[in-house]
This record gives sequence, C-alpha cells and structure tokens, in this order.
Amino acid sequence: MAERYAETAFRNGYEHTQGTGYALPEYPFREPPELATGQPSHHPVVIVGAGITGLTAACALAQYGIPAVLLDEDNTVGVKGASSRGICYTQKSLEIFHRLGVYERIARKGIQWSVGRTFAGNDEVYSFDLRQQGAFNLSTQPPFINIQQFYIESYLVDRIQELGHVELRWKSRVTAFRQDDERATLTVDTPAGEYRIRADHVIDATGCHSPFRQWVGASVTAKKGDDRWCIADVRFSKHPPVERHTWIEAPFNENRAVWQHLMGDDVWRIDYQMAPDCDPAEVSREDVVRERLARQFGADAGIEIVWVGPYAYRSECVDRMRHGRVFLMGDSAKVVSPFGARGGNTGIADADNLAWKLAAVLRGRAAPALLDSYDEERHEAAQQNVLVTNRTARFLRPATPVEKLFRDAALSLARKHAFARQFVNTGRMAVANPYTRSGACGATGGQSVQNVAFQWPDGSRGTVNDLLRWADGHLLVLVFGGTSAAALDRLQGLAESAPVRCVQVLGPDDRPGALEHVRDPQGHLQGACHVFGHAWALVRPDSYVAATGESVDAGLVHAVGRALGAALEEEPTA
Amino acid sequence: MKTPLNQQDADAFYEQLLDAHQGLTEQQSALLNARLILLLASQVGDAKALKECV
Repeated sequence: MAERYAETAFRNGYEHTQGTGYALPEYPFREPPELATGQPSHHPVVIVGAGITGLTAACALAQYGIPAVLLDEDNTVGVKGASSRGICYTQKSLEIFHRLGVYERIARKGIQWSVGRTFAGNDEVYSFDLRQQGAFNLSTQPPFINIQQFYIESYLVDRIQELGHVELRWKSRVTAFRQDDERATLTVDTPAGEYRIRADHVIDATGCHSPFRQWVGASVTAKKGDDRWCIADVRFSKHPPVERHTWIEAPFNENRAVWQHLMGDDVWRIDYQMAPDCDPAEVSREDVVRERLARQFGADAGIEIVWVGPYAYRSECVDRMRHGRVFLMGDSAKVVSPFGARGGNTGIADADNLAWKLAAVLRGRAAPALLDSYDEERHEAAQQNVLVTNRTARFLRPATPVEKLFRDAALSLARKHAFARQFVNTGRMAVANPYTRSGACGATGGQSVQNVAFQWPDGSRGTVNDLLRWADGHLLVLVFGGTSAAALDRLQGLAESAPVRCVQVLGPDDRPGALEHVRDPQGHLQGACHVFGHAWALVRPDSYVAATGESVDAGLVHAVGRALGAALEEEPTA
Repeated sequence: MKTPLNQQDADAFYEQLLDAHQGLTEQQSALLNARLILLLASQVGDAKALKECV
C-alpha cells in the first residue's frame, strides 16, 4: 500500500526556487487508529485542508475546546514547493490571530510599512502614509503586516498542538464523500492505506481545486480573464526603500503593472503584469525573470531568486457556502485575484465566523439554525470581495480602448487633483465585511468591533480580545454608562437564563452596579462597538456586534435569541 | 472648481461608467461621453465652476 500514496506535487510545472529558497517544516504521518481497528471513527467536526483557512478554523475550535480532526494531503504548510502565496494580513485577521494566541510571533517575523507610492510611467501619481489615516489607530493591531503565509500556518500548527482538542492528520487525502440525515462519511487515503471517518459537520478548506464542490453539487459562478502575472520573490544585497511601490504603467515592464513589497526574512515580492494570454513557461523561465529584474533594479543589485511563479487572474464564487453538513470556506468558496489581499484574509474571517457558531451549537448554547447564518454572512462577504476585486482587475487590465481611455484620463488628472485619485484602483484593502442580511444580526448589528483597549477595575489595561477570551465563547452584553437598578436586575435575569456574560462599561466617574465592570475613560470601547451615550452592544465571540440598542429591555432579550439562532422571550417576572 | 476627494462611491461610479460603454462602437462611445458631459454640466449648474472645469 505504502508506495501507492501519491505525494503532493507542485501545482504547475513552472514554479521554481533556487539559492536557499524556503525551508518548510515537515510534520510526521502517524498511522490512524481506524486502520488498526478497521472501524470508522465518528467526530463532531472534520476539517479538510491545512491551509491558512483550515488551520484558523482548527485553532479557533481548539481554543473553544471543541474536538476535531484536521486532514491534509501533504506533510507541510505551504503548497509543496510553492511556499509563497499570501503575503498581506489585515487588521481584522491580525486581531483574530491575537485572540488565537499567534499574533506576537507574526508581529516579530512580519514587516510593517506605512508609505505606499503609486507610479505611472516615470512619475509618481500619488503617495499615502497609513500612519496619517485615523481609522486604524485605535486597535492594538496595526493596519496590516506583510509576512509569508506559510509562517502563519506553521505558527497555527504549533498553537493547535499546544491547545490540544484538534488532531492533525498529515498525508491524509480525502478521496470520496457522502452525506445523509445521519452523518457525513469521508474516505481517506494515506501512505498506510485507506480508511473511513464520519462526522456531524465537515469544513471544506481544500482551496480552489476543492473536490467537495462537485461532491455536494455546488454550482460556481466564474469569470476568467486574459490577464497574466509572474511573481518573483527575491533578496537583494542592495535593497530598495521599505515602502510599497505600485506601477500602473512601468517603463521597465513594457508599460504594464508592477507591484513591489517587502515580506519577512528580507524577501521582496515583485509581481509583474505580463502580456495578455502569454505563455507561463516562457515568462517564468529563470533567464527571462533575471533579465526582467535587472531592467528594474539594475544589473548590480545582487539578486537572489527565492521563488518564481506565474498565475492567471480569475474569480469564482459558489452559490451557497453551506451544503448540508458541509461548510465551504476560503478558496473553496470563492477565488479572487490577489488585489487588496481579499483571498486569505476572507478565508481567515470565514473560519472565525463558523468556529464560534459550531462551538455554541455543539455545547448546546445555540440552536442548530444558527449555522445557517454562516452562509448568510460569509456569502455576502464573498460576493462583495469578488465585486471589489473584479473592479481592480478591470482597472489594471482595461478590456477595451474606451476603458483604457478612462484610465488614462484618471491617471493624468490624479497627478494634479486629489479627487481623481479615487478612480486609481490598484487594489482596495480587505476589510472586516459588514453583515447586512444575516438572520443572526439585528438591523443595528453586523459590524466588526476593533480590538481596542480599556481598563480593568484595578486600572490595568485590557483589550476586547481579553474580554472575549474571558467570555469563553459566550455572547457578551456590554452596557455603557450608569444603569438603573431595574436594568441591572433584568441583566442578571438574562445572564441566568441565557448563555451570555454581562459587563458594565463605565466612564471615569460612573459608579459600578452589581455587574462585572470595566472602565472606558476615552470611550474607545464604546466607539469600537458603534454606539453612543447610554447603550448596550451584544458582542459575539468573533468580535462582531450582533445588535445594539439604547435601553435594556425586551429588545435585548430578542437580540440574544436571534444571535443564538433561537427565539428567546423574557420570562415574566412575578 | 472643487478638486478634493468628493465622491461617495468612486469605484461603483467608475464601474457604471465602463458598463455603460460596454458593447458600443467607437462613435457611440464618443456620443455617450458627450451626452454625459452635457448632462453632468447641467447637474453642476454653477457657471463659474463649469468655466474652470473646461
């Protein structure tokens, strides 16, 4: 049997490394117990695919103490050999990683920059400094960090092993799947033979070649362009400034686009736009890549090629992200071009969205109907990300002479006038997508809460993530300002009858009531929760507000029920 | 003439504009642009601003 297992190969034949390349960690294959017993095992959750999405889901479940099995066909992080992929992680993702306990390692390894410059021809069209932009300042995480995806994946693997609860099974390829009213059954091929595993819930994080799409009958809306790019990850002995440089029309690349940004280990990612429908083998040949790099950086820049890979832009989105027991997430659900880092970052958010809901349902704190809100919320996000990314793709590869004409007009105006910079679309950075049509969120809810700081009663500093960890998967009711005795009674009743934790958030001079309380002297926590004055905010474990309101009344009770997929009515008080 | 950032959703507008041109011949596109200029000028109204824009 052993020789039959097909090792994971490079995704295409054109990627290559030279010099030191990347050294990826390898994880051991252990013979699963099912092979010895001949009996399929049963698990509440099976995750397929140990990419950034599957590992985030696994780590979040581990943090909630939910047992799960993670299957991956390879024995390392990163697609074999092609150890590049995602490079930019946004504030929301970093906040999630902070909650999961891997942020510090990411911050140490990754690169932060704030200056971006956009060029067309030999001129700078405009530049920006993110440190001058206010919206990101309150979070304890920066606007984003550049780091190679596989580093985060390896930190997540370490963290999952620390936390326990989730079993990682390497060299385990799912080859068949079926589901019925009772269970899902997966057939798993390994170097030691084939076995079957059963699950109540399956997370498909296998990526853009997902076999589950066909197994569950998911239909896909796809758009394929003729735009071709070639990435070169390189090191320099004489390196450029630590800024992001974007050329919409680069003179050294036949007036096509070029991206240049720094990642960890002093490795630079340079993306080159190629001629439409070009031959990927030709454009990624080493001598061709070297010549292209020399045209940009000069022959004496001392360039070492770490990795090269060509790719074609496309977008895909499944019709639904839940099919029975299967939840599609990350690239399994939608594929976008890399502009704005809307691939990996939305996969991370998909995982964080589902993990707390699965945990709440499996612990009996929420109704199974809550799981439907995964599709409502994350499909809205997926569609939005496809829309936004396709707009950028269209700006960078004008399809007709008229589209090129408008781009020329926008660029020439943008050199002089601020208003026209809004039309220059080199990518719109991924955001924490709002949820406007979720059954689990009220009309005032569905917005992300930044990981801002406040004070614990003893004056020490806490963050939203500390509160969420303290709530341990429960919903959090934050009540801002002084509160009447009747409202406090009501909150106490709510905390006793529903799986919520209530915390009073006080200004510098407010007196604490009977509830747990924290202080928010600068109003950052209140601002992060999108409320003003006397108000409450119902915060979910994924750091989204489910709903907000003014007075502590039946509306709050109703919102709690809704956020748990159930109808909840206040018990009449005698 | 106003030149600071002024658009509520520039990306959506840009997309609408390109969509409106989709499938048109060169001459039809030019005519659409001319009509748009006249229509948008009428939205602006202010003679001084229009003069500066031109």
